[in-house]
Amino acid sequence: MTIEEQVREIVARITRVDKSIITRESTFKDIKADSLDIVQALVAVEETFGIEIPDEEARKFRNFGDFVSYVESRVAQRERV
Amino acid sequence: MSLEGKVALITGGGRGIGRAIALKLASQGSDIIVNFFRRRETAEQTAKEIRALGVKAEVIRANVGDAAKIDEMFNAIADKFGHLDILINNAASGVGRPVMDIDVQAWEWTMNINVRACLLCAQRAAKLMGGQGGKIVNLSSLGSFLVWPTYAVVGVSKAALEALTRYLAIELAPLKICVNAIAASFVETEALKFYFAQGDSKVNISITPAGRMVTPEDVANVVAFLCSEEAYMIRGQTIIVDGGFSLHGSSLQWKGKDQ
Repeated sequence: MTIEEQVREIVARITRVDKSIITRESTFKDIKADSLDIVQALVAVEETFGIEIPDEEARKFRNFGDFVSYVESRVAQRERV
Repeated sequence: MSLEGKVALITGGGRGIGRAIALKLASQGSDIIVNFFRRRETAEQTAKEIRALGVKAEVIRANVGDAAKIDEMFNAIADKFGHLDILINNAASGVGRPVMDIDVQAWEWTMNINVRACLLCAQRAAKLMGGQGGKIVNLSSLGSFLVWPTYAVVGVSKAALEALTRYLAIELAPLKICVNAIAASFVETEALKFYFAQGDSKVNISITPAGRMVTPEDVANVVAFLCSEEAYMIRGQTIIVDGGFSLHGSSLQWKGKDQ
């Protein structure tokens, strides 16, 4: 499974939506995620990939695609270390 | 009131009320451990301000809603400092929903952070205080006994925290540990914006006898007092810091933004 597929599964599970409706353009608002859903999704992704996603960074995500790109870059960074 | 040579852990100490408490205790000479969860830059900035006061500051990331993360945090504190003198259970979270919309996830998230974490941190802290005595202050809220729109799960968690404060005060007394709580009204922080619409502040001020909102520093001043030897005979109490706001009882007229 790619990073994008894994992140999509986590977000779908926590927000209780079908993963097929989450595209790279989807916003948290589009999938009706509230603040608890968002923080739980961030925590689940952090634990899955062993990375940290501070709110200062998460606030910059415009959509699901930005979220995935950030996770991909952090995972790549971690693997270089 | 001097806290020279003391070590204090403030959960959620990076911003808002926790930050003000961290800076206040640091100004009295205590070394500070700033626990944070979501905002690393903000916590690092607070630590920098603490160090500028001439004391040590350590930043530890941990979601206190996760019992394993609390253990890791205290293991790190034990390694680094070897002991602890002051625990401020300040970190809190919550889900602003009417009672009919509170599901198991929202309940557990809030209770684990606002209550269970305070018990687990107190247990670990009491051991690190090692019989030398110590102070524990829990941050409650007027919502423990007043009813506000969408505040149910947080209000319930704070009522439980106040009860926990009384039990800890008695059972930790033989270890020379003083345990108390503070219940503040609306404090001007970022968290407040989450619950209340703009404009509510004016209503709140108009019915606060003291004539202004409570500031994080107002709360920090009372925390510092409770951490001093002058407060030694105060045990298991919840001190209200609200400028007289709660004396009005039924005069709460504002509307929550979700109502």
